[in-house]
Amino acid sequence: MTRVIRLEIDSRPECIELLSDALCGVCRRLPATEIDRINLAMVEAVNNAVEHAYRGEPGHPVWVELELASDHLRVRVCDRGQPMDPHHLEAELIEPDPADPATWSMRSRGLFIIRNCMDEVRYETRDGVNILAMNRRLANDPSA
Amino acid sequence: MILTHRNHHGIDIIALSGRLVIADVPEVRQKLLATVEQGNGKLILDLAEVNFMDSSGLSVLVSAFKAARAKNGDVALLHLNPTVRSLIELTRLQQIFAIFDDEAAALTRLSS
Repeated sequence: MTRVIRLEIDSRPECIELLSDALCGVCRRLPATEIDRINLAMVEAVNNAVEHAYRGEPGHPVWVELELASDHLRVRVCDRGQPMDPHHLEAELIEPDPADPATWSMRSRGLFIIRNCMDEVRYETRDGVNILAMNRRLANDPSA
Repeated sequence: MILTHRNHHGIDIIALSGRLVIADVPEVRQKLLATVEQGNGKLILDLAEVNFMDSSGLSVLVSAFKAARAKNGDVALLHLNPTVRSLIELTRLQQIFAIFDDEAAALTRLSS
């Protein structure tokens, strides 16, 4: 059986922890390492919505849909802000080199983290809504 | 977020706690950069009580590292929990940060 929960916050950094707490509760039957990966991917996606789509401006909605099934967990992070260039999803990590300060990047790790934490990641804008959809295949049934 | 700050023979040791995420970044970045600026640029970050970090938390660590290296100093990370360690390793930041489970070893490294 597939079940869906939708959660919404205001686009303020201090609200993101609420989503984390809710996701950890929903996923409580999964192994801790699995929860960590999914939570991190969701937080990074919500950070992007707050920081980039809404450019740090509060007062806008960010909503997350969690779809739980026996063999996967889908996370959709949605906003109505500025769309992201979908090519950014493919950005590779800059390898940090202790001898090369140019590689000591302050940013640009979020999408790489998302890609590495989840099995499938897709981005689209539909009817003014930006959707970062992520899927994680599960060995343990989260609804059991 | 900042638990404690002490100085051991010119090496600043700051312990953080809780979540190091986008909401906490401005405060922690300001504290770390001020510490590096006022000190010798030698900083140990004890992350034993940090239970979650995102990429904005990583950016704070890197900003402290850059500031320290600009003073010919360094930043060592101490007591990473498995969640934080796996994030550091995923993003290959262990290639620029010295990581220790033992404070004495971190102090020795930064003293040299």
